[in-house]
Amino acid sequence: MQKITSISIKYGFLIVMVASFISFGLAEPAFWSWSNLFSILLGVTIYAILALGVTITLSADGLDLSVGSTAAMSVMMASYSMVVLELSGIAAVAVCLVIGGLIGLFNGLLIVKVKVPDLLATLGTMFLIQGLQLIPSGGRSIGTGMMLPDGEEAMGQFTEGFLFLGQGRLFGLIPIPVIFMLVLAVIVYIILDRMRWGRVFYAIGGNAEAARLVGAAVDRYRIMAYVLSGLIASFGGVLLAARIGRGDVSSGSGLLLDAVGAALIGYAVLGARRPNVFGTIIGAIFVGMLLNGLTMLNLPYFWQDFIKGTVLVSALAFTFSLAKER
Amino acid sequence: MTSRNPSVQVRSIGKSFGATRALDDVSFDFFPGEIFGLVGANGAGKSTLIKIICGYYPDYEGDVLIDGKAVRCSSPHDALNFGIATVHQIINQGVIQDMTVAENLALADLLSKSGSLFCNKNKITAKAKAISERMDLHHLDMNQMVGELSQCDRQMIAIARALASDPRLLILDEPTSSISEREADVLFDKLNKLRDDGVSILYVSHRLHEIERLADRVGVIRDGAHGGVLEKPFLVKEIVTAMVGEMGDIAGRVPPTPKPNEVPKIELRDLVVDVASAPLNLKIYTGEIVGITGLIGAGKTELANVLFGLTMPVSGEILIDGTAVCPRSVRQAIDAGIFMVPEDRANKAIIPDFSIRKNITMPFLSHFSGFLGLMRNRLEAHETNRMIDAIGVKCESELSFINELSGGNQQKVVVARWLMTAFNLLILDEPYQGVDIRSRHDINTYIRTHCKDGALLVMAADLDEVLEVADRIVVMNNTMIVGEQRISEIDRSTLLHWTAQSSDEIREMR
Repeated sequence: MQKITSISIKYGFLIVMVASFISFGLAEPAFWSWSNLFSILLGVTIYAILALGVTITLSADGLDLSVGSTAAMSVMMASYSMVVLELSGIAAVAVCLVIGGLIGLFNGLLIVKVKVPDLLATLGTMFLIQGLQLIPSGGRSIGTGMMLPDGEEAMGQFTEGFLFLGQGRLFGLIPIPVIFMLVLAVIVYIILDRMRWGRVFYAIGGNAEAARLVGAAVDRYRIMAYVLSGLIASFGGVLLAARIGRGDVSSGSGLLLDAVGAALIGYAVLGARRPNVFGTIIGAIFVGMLLNGLTMLNLPYFWQDFIKGTVLVSALAFTFSLAKER
Repeated sequence: MTSRNPSVQVRSIGKSFGATRALDDVSFDFFPGEIFGLVGANGAGKSTLIKIICGYYPDYEGDVLIDGKAVRCSSPHDALNFGIATVHQIINQGVIQDMTVAENLALADLLSKSGSLFCNKNKITAKAKAISERMDLHHLDMNQMVGELSQCDRQMIAIARALASDPRLLILDEPTSSISEREADVLFDKLNKLRDDGVSILYVSHRLHEIERLADRVGVIRDGAHGGVLEKPFLVKEIVTAMVGEMGDIAGRVPPTPKPNEVPKIELRDLVVDVASAPLNLKIYTGEIVGITGLIGAGKTELANVLFGLTMPVSGEILIDGTAVCPRSVRQAIDAGIFMVPEDRANKAIIPDFSIRKNITMPFLSHFSGFLGLMRNRLEAHETNRMIDAIGVKCESELSFINELSGGNQQKVVVARWLMTAFNLLILDEPYQGVDIRSRHDINTYIRTHCKDGALLVMAADLDEVLEVADRIVVMNNTMIVGEQRISEIDRSTLLHWTAQSSDEIREMR
């Protein structure tokens, strides 16, 4: 009995995942086609990337709720840079990353120096950014030919190189954003699990006072976690802008919950019971796969959020109830 | 005593966790009007037994009998209804810091089903007064937040509340682990009174001197099995032998004698740690272990905090090998070779969901990482295993989670993390809290043989604890150093007198 419990804690999630992968394919063979599999991955890319940032902040016992609006901000700023300011694609990416980093720094300082609790601070920032991103464009979406306040038309364009980031495919098959997601996942995995900094993040998450008393610069690490999260979120926004090709004001909606959901589902993977990169990515892919498969089987779209919620709650209940006695 | 019927009995209790047999065929009787001391080495199964009696582990073999009838408690709440009240080791789990004294005392009422839905402040205060009566807690302000009280008062509140239910058996798990000797005396008086009232008390402690003083009978658990019951009068030595078998004395050690003109390893020169404190002067020579004792609030922890860079001194100097240093942060202190094992292991030292390895290497991560800060796993494992063997941590492997270890073994890990490199000064603040005698022996033996090039400062409120390890005892009282004695010329009563003096007496003495 004990053995079954420990196996199901460790591999339960992956078993369910493989089982659903097989069942969907059996029910609808098109599910297994390469193009569909990559469309699943492409579908989860943006929030999976955001979830990586969330994972970092979770590891240091924080939670960044502003990742969604940071990404949306990034979408607007990328568009604004290229369409209105007529900057190059590279400059646009740089602008986005700088802003993302600054948002993270702002979060970090608010939490560490002003001592606002993580959830409240990032919730506040979320609203702040959501409002701020609307101001430069006067609340409208940004696209070539849009009317500027001074009556002229914006003549800039999304550069081709920039659009390639979101729409290109390697060998005509693998979407570029998916590659970015995997590379970023590997990088964040190395930071959290293989490097000394990750060790300190987790130590702070486990017992911040103990970490401080062995000489860890707890405040600095906390700030760093939010800066990393902001950087990653803004990069997610860059990919999103490149995919949709315009500065859509509503592009960020829903990203936050999906990202936080993926990071939390990750707790269940391999019985980790703590934020971890592998789990986060698997969690994001699992949700994407489930929605894709169910949609193929004609599940109406308005079921989607309910399905995500069900997966999240079951995953959390499963990990925390079964693994209680470890 | 034997003519009376036992109020609570445990019969052939057994319990396994997976493949580990934690308890096997353990039986004890607890009589009314008796203080029953329960002792055992780390991991011997004391906590498991208590958790079974108080309903925390409903799944066990054997029987718990109350007034001769077998009962099965499925939860701590259940046990309370059967008349078994428990005050757990960690005081702050027993009281709610953000509530007032009155609310804490009347907590059971606030939670009971029959209670009113609304809080009536007067009613709560009246109830709390009645409860506090029994423990003579008149000196407490009912409206004060418990978080502002001393550890001792918090403990008293937890006990008072446990008594409110009129228990047949009161279980106290390490009740003195975070209070001073004088406060412990107050507690003992009250316990003696409760015994005379006919309460049956199960008293668990690592401090055998307390057991010797307080208990009427002593039960021993050894490796999860019944290790015998000793009747009064008992000697500490007998109890120890029953607990762990024969144990060698700590390696005989000759305290280093400083050569004339030797520069002290560490010197405090008119160090004022806090605005209200007196200046401190102290020299510690290379290889010397100085024990600082004194009541809680005497200024030990404040001194430790200054040395370790946690707070800035008001004035004065800290010298290492004659050179002044001024650590402004923990990192700077560590870089200057000043290390500290803080008091309150659970909250300040261990990272609970980390393995032993990750806990041990925390202070010196950069030693164990190379290019780009990548961790060098093999080196880390090797060094961890070396320390585990050297100091004798009992564990399955270096990858075991630290919170699976007993208190004493956790403490060994926490001490070991600072012994991986050379140090100038190692401070151990209350290092024996919740640490059994065997582990204490292991830790002391290890640090005694490994402080050749550094200085060691051991701080403990319990005089016996410092006597066991130190070469020189320094007594602090009311932020001042009031006296010191070398271990060769120890006079216990003078030391205790220094410890207990009032601030007026100290002023007269000066």
